[in-house]
Amino acid sequence: MEMHFRKNSIELEKELNMLDRLAIDFSSEMERLGVKNAIVSGYVSILFGRNRGSEDIDMLTESMDFQKFMSLWKGLEKKFECLNTSNPETAFNDYINARIPLRFSKRGEFVPNMEIKTAKNRLESWVIENRKTVVLNGRQIHVSPIEVQIAFKLFLGSEKDIEDARYLYSIFRERINESVLGKFLKKLRVESYFRRYLK
Amino acid sequence: MRIPKINLKELRKMKEKNFQERLEFIDAYARWVKSQPNRKWSSRQKDIIGSRD
Repeated sequence: MEMHFRKNSIELEKELNMLDRLAIDFSSEMERLGVKNAIVSGYVSILFGRNRGSEDIDMLTESMDFQKFMSLWKGLEKKFECLNTSNPETAFNDYINARIPLRFSKRGEFVPNMEIKTAKNRLESWVIENRKTVVLNGRQIHVSPIEVQIAFKLFLGSEKDIEDARYLYSIFRERINESVLGKFLKKLRVESYFRRYLK
Repeated sequence: MRIPKINLKELRKMKEKNFQERLEFIDAYARWVKSQPNRKWSSRQKDIIGSRD
């Protein structure tokens, strides 16, 4: 595996699968529309080679008021459609504000889709503030720092989540910031899971 | 229809063993990915996940 590590980014060239293409296309729209975001959860391990399917990609975005959400909605609707509702007011009030993820797929498709939710707690805001840029085949996407991803996957705790955490730890073992990882393991109270499943 | 007796303790043990094997497989797979050129592992990944645009 060839990856080039820069100060705040990782460069990766690979044959793109359909999840990679969706991540690139959707992220580029979000950038164009000026919405700060970070991809989290299962796709992060898939991006770096984990061989498993997924029907969605989870993305955290910065908080938005209705005006900003409307400009995002209008910007997205050329290429993407919302699977939950066709009404932007419902999408904002019943989903975004209620912390229920909103799903977008490419028009006419249903899967894979992007599941977006706005950051509403300190951990999620930290993830967006400290996101890492991945330059994937020359296109930028932003992902959660690997350390918090590993700890959070252990916190979620299903077999699939633990496998994702183990895979990321195996791939990035030499690059992990052990101090940051240790702090998140402690905060999320998953140190024993780490010792049991990742060490 | 008679339902067989089920030994839950045995099933839980089997589940844990399967999971341990999965974790060992993930280690082996991660080692393989790290040792291969991107073209090779990502081509396999594309076959499994799909490439529909």
